[in-house]
Amino acid sequence: MAKPKVAFYWCASCGGCEEAIVDLAEDILKVVEAVDIVFWPVAMDFKKSYVEAMEDGALALTFINGAIRTDEQKEMVELLRRKSGLVVAFGSCAHLGGIPGLANFHDRESIFERAYKTTQSTVNPGEVLPRTVTQIDGIQLTLPKFWNTVHTLDQVIDVDYYLPGCAPPPDLIMDAVMAVLEGNLPEKGAVLAPAKTLCDTCPRSDTKPEVIKIKDLKRPHEILADPEKCLLEEGILCLGLATRNGCSERCINANMPCRGCFGPVDGAHDFGAKALSAIASLIEIDDEEDTSVEEIEELLKAIADPAGLFYMYNLPSSELRRSR
Amino acid sequence: MSDKPKIIVFCCNWSVYPGLQLSELLDSFADDSGVEYIVTMCSGRISPELVIEAFANGAWGVMVTGCPPGECDHEGNYNMRRRMTLLKSTLAQLNICSERIVLDWFSAGEAAKLEKAVNRFKTKITEYGPIDMTVEQG
Repeated sequence: MAKPKVAFYWCASCGGCEEAIVDLAEDILKVVEAVDIVFWPVAMDFKKSYVEAMEDGALALTFINGAIRTDEQKEMVELLRRKSGLVVAFGSCAHLGGIPGLANFHDRESIFERAYKTTQSTVNPGEVLPRTVTQIDGIQLTLPKFWNTVHTLDQVIDVDYYLPGCAPPPDLIMDAVMAVLEGNLPEKGAVLAPAKTLCDTCPRSDTKPEVIKIKDLKRPHEILADPEKCLLEEGILCLGLATRNGCSERCINANMPCRGCFGPVDGAHDFGAKALSAIASLIEIDDEEDTSVEEIEELLKAIADPAGLFYMYNLPSSELRRSR
Repeated sequence: MSDKPKIIVFCCNWSVYPGLQLSELLDSFADDSGVEYIVTMCSGRISPELVIEAFANGAWGVMVTGCPPGECDHEGNYNMRRRMTLLKSTLAQLNICSERIVLDWFSAGEAAKLEKAVNRFKTKITEYGPIDMTVEQG
C-alpha cells in the first residue's frame, strides 16, 4: 500500500519549527518509514510545480509553520490547502501569529522606513524600497507584496488542527503524526496539546502559596530567581496561569517565566486580555481604599511594555489583531 | 462604519444600576441614544476581555462603573480598577487612546452624577469618533 504523503512548508517564521522536526532525532526515522515526505523546501529539493501537478487532496497531511504576511505565502498555503486532506498549523506563528506578529504594532510603511532607511546599519543612499514590480532594461522583475498586517494561518485558509509552541516539542509532534496515521484525531479545530494551564503542571506548584500576591514587580534580569519557588511569588510576571500546558515546562526549568507561546486554553478568545486580567488580579496594593488611580498607574509602570508582554506571541490572533 | 456613537456602559447591579433606573438615561436609551448598558453582578466581573470585545465589535468608548472604594462587598471594584488601569496602558500601545475607557464610581442612588458622567463621556467620545477596525489581506 502506498504510504501517506506528507508536506512541510514555512511562511513568516524563524526556522525553529523546521529544527523541531530535526529534534525528533531517531524518531524521524519512524516518521520517514511510515510516510512519504513529498514537499519540504527547507530540507529537500522539491519544486512548487510538483505540488501543482498533484491531484487535489493527494497530500494526506501538510504541516505549515509561520505567520502569513506576503502574497507569495498566501498563494502557497492556498495551493497546499487544495492538495491536502489535513492541514496542521504548526507552531506559535501559524497558530497565533507568533513573534513575527509583533509587526502588527507597526504598518508596512513604518517597517520599510525603519528596515530600509533608518537602522544604524542601513546604507541605502537611493532610499530604494521593495516594490512589487521593477522594470530594468526592458525586463520586468517582481516581488511578492508585503502585507500591512501579519495574519495567522487560519485567517487565510481553513485549518484542521493546531500544534502549539515556539517551537512545538518533539513529543507533541510525534503524538500528532501518530494520531493522523492511526486515524485517532479529535474534533476538527482542536489544539493538539493538553487542555489545562501550565500552572497545573508546573514543577514549582508544590511550593506555590494558596493565594499568590505580587508586591514588588521584577523583570527577570533584575533578580536571580529561586529555582524552587513560584516565579509569580517572587514578583516575576509569569504567564503560566493563562497559558496552555504541554511544553514540558522548558522555560520554567531554565528558571525563566512563561511568555505564553502555547496560547490560551479552550474558550479564551483573547490570550493577552486573559493574561493581563490574571496578572492584575494578583497585584497587591497596600491600603487600596485610599490609593488613587494615578498611584496605581505609577505602580503598574513597573510593567514596562504591557502590550509586548501580554501579546508577545498572539497579537494577530487577538480581538484587535493590530495597532489601530 | 457607523457615524453614530456607540458606547457601552458596564454597570454594577448593586450600586450603579439603581441610580441608572432613577435617572433619565434609560428614557434616552429607548430612543436610540447610542449608549448601551450592560449590568453585571459586581464590577469585578468586568474583565478586560469584555472591554476589548466591545471595541472589536465597534464600540467608540467603554465606561466601566462600580461601587466607590470601601463600598463593594467583594472588593471587586479594586480588582476591576487594577485591571482597567493596566488595560488602558496596554491599549494605548495599540493606539487606542486611554480616554476611550472611563472608570468611575457611583453609590446607589447617585442618579444625577451618573447622568452627568454618561453625557460628558458621550460628548467626548462623539468628538473622538469611531475606531477603524478594518484589517485587510494585502
